[in-house]
Amino acid sequence: MKPLRSVDAVNGGHLKIENVNKNFGTFKVLDNINLEIKPGEFFSLLGPSGCGKTTLLRIIAGFEAPSVGGLFLDNNDITYLLSNKRHVNTVFQSYALFPHLSVFENVAFPLRLKKEKESVIKEKVGKYLDLVQLNAHVKKYPAQLSGGQKQRVAIARALINEPSILLLDEPLSALDAKLRHKLLIELDSIHDKTGITFIFVTHDQQEALSVSDRIAVMKDVVVLQVGSPSEIYETPADMFVANFIGETNVFVGTVKEVLGDQAILTVDGIGEIKICTEKDIKKDDRLKCTIRPEKIRITSSLPDTKSEEINVLNGKVDELIYTGFQSRYYVKINNFIFKIFKQHVKYFMDETPIKWKDDVYVWWYVDDEFIVEVN
Amino acid sequence: MKKNYGQIYTAPLLIWITVFFVVPIAIILMFSFLKKDVHGGVELKFSIAAYKALFNPYIIKVAFSTIFISIMATLIIVFLALPTAYYMARSKFKDFLMLLIIIPFWTNFLIRIYAWIAILGNNGILNNILLKLGLTDHNIQFLYNQWTVIIVMAYTYLPFAILPLFSTIEKFDFSLLEAARDLGATKTKAILKILLPNVMPGITTAVLFTFIPVIGNYAVPQLVGGSDSIMIGNIITHEIMKTRNWPLASSISLVLTVLSTIGVMLFMYMTRSKTDNLRKVREDAV
Repeated sequence: MKPLRSVDAVNGGHLKIENVNKNFGTFKVLDNINLEIKPGEFFSLLGPSGCGKTTLLRIIAGFEAPSVGGLFLDNNDITYLLSNKRHVNTVFQSYALFPHLSVFENVAFPLRLKKEKESVIKEKVGKYLDLVQLNAHVKKYPAQLSGGQKQRVAIARALINEPSILLLDEPLSALDAKLRHKLLIELDSIHDKTGITFIFVTHDQQEALSVSDRIAVMKDVVVLQVGSPSEIYETPADMFVANFIGETNVFVGTVKEVLGDQAILTVDGIGEIKICTEKDIKKDDRLKCTIRPEKIRITSSLPDTKSEEINVLNGKVDELIYTGFQSRYYVKINNFIFKIFKQHVKYFMDETPIKWKDDVYVWWYVDDEFIVEVN
Repeated sequence: MKKNYGQIYTAPLLIWITVFFVVPIAIILMFSFLKKDVHGGVELKFSIAAYKALFNPYIIKVAFSTIFISIMATLIIVFLALPTAYYMARSKFKDFLMLLIIIPFWTNFLIRIYAWIAILGNNGILNNILLKLGLTDHNIQFLYNQWTVIIVMAYTYLPFAILPLFSTIEKFDFSLLEAARDLGATKTKAILKILLPNVMPGITTAVLFTFIPVIGNYAVPQLVGGSDSIMIGNIITHEIMKTRNWPLASSISLVLTVLSTIGVMLFMYMTRSKTDNLRKVREDAV
């Protein structure tokens, strides 16, 4: 399919958010937000509910004004521009389709406001309904559509004005898991076809990781980290990000001694493990260190890898959950439960499958773990 | 064996409607085709004299003036009730505002009309204020004309329009207005193109709840109206109480009932298509 906008038109959609603060009365909702969103980027605002991500989206849409700070779209100050004058359109969480208008008229609504010619309206609405694969339902009313179809109408309607930025406010949260996944892939392909900047608000880390170019993780009115999905997953800025994005094992311990590029950490409840000294650490520092469950191996015999490179611990399988494409092992070592995810590449070819209550070796490469907090 | 309880359950309603609705109308219908008794009441003789008397130019003139008063009062009411109900639905003090709307009902309807006489009368509050302010040097005659009737009617039936409009607007999803604004609509356009069509059922109810009682009203024109504001209701009262021509009163009543029914049906037909789509939405929501 041909791109919906010519390549020259794609230079719009550069958004700069500068020192944005928002208070509702004495209640702070956003604290000094600075973000720069590049043209054509798929940018996600990720955070638990109440972190201020929806308020930030509403400020970008023009439904709220920041208490302090400014917004610049393609170098124009839009901080106090009315929402109907901004080249920004929104896909609402509740879809907000007009119940008294048919699918066609819902999508045509922005064009009718501009008093476009009937022929132009017909052509454009057809084009955008094609994009969201809804051409078979033009005459239906919102009440007759399924959740996924409503969502597609909302997307077509928001795109028809050819905005510089498309805002998506938890657009998939009301759909079931399978459909959510399908629409997510469609959203990604619509993003590719239109070349519009997408700002996607979600509390679902999986959604954010799978489609975003960059993610801003928010918590309690501030942005904690901005980065690509892999940066955020592999090198989270702090404990909250590490825990919020994916699952992880956390060790809290005291540095026993520093030996060049490695250090020995005495972990509460486990014992001694080796860590990399990529952060500036000294003897007796208290620190939090984490390793992702899929990076830990689980074997019934000792691995024959050089012992300087790995941490090996011995424990018992406390719980085993088979989920089809992977197994989740919960291995008890002293009082600590290790989460270990093992992908089934060749399930039946494993000579000795690990069973419940087996004694196992748990090991990982030292450079796969990372220090998240030093105090 | 399955018994059909439905008929038993609906019997009270059926009896109620028959006794208080069907029977009275049947009596009126019967009286309108009977001969007038000399001393009032009716003789049991068939006659269409009451229908012939309808073509009296005076009655026709009053009929037109009644329709004019009713339409004007209804228009004023809806135009006042819409913003009021909108404001109430979006306010934080819904319950308190609702109370303010309901409080006037605690005072008798006639007493409230007398209050208007006290305000608008020749020695009334309004004239006194205007005299004190030096805006006029003589008492102005506010009472006893068509517009006073229209204004007092509007005052009397305003709550009947505010309440149904409030309950429809309260259910309206205001994020739709944000969506319209987001898609490029001005504030006014968003209200005209999105809010109004979606609260159409409420507007229909408001119009019916005000137009019907206004068109049959006789107390307001009697108390604050003049010779130009006599309404059909006054003629009916006059025929029953003074002239004692019961067949004529019956035939006028029937024509009034038929005319207002036709008007209501026309109005409902005009607003139906929009209401239908909304009904679909509600069914879906259920």
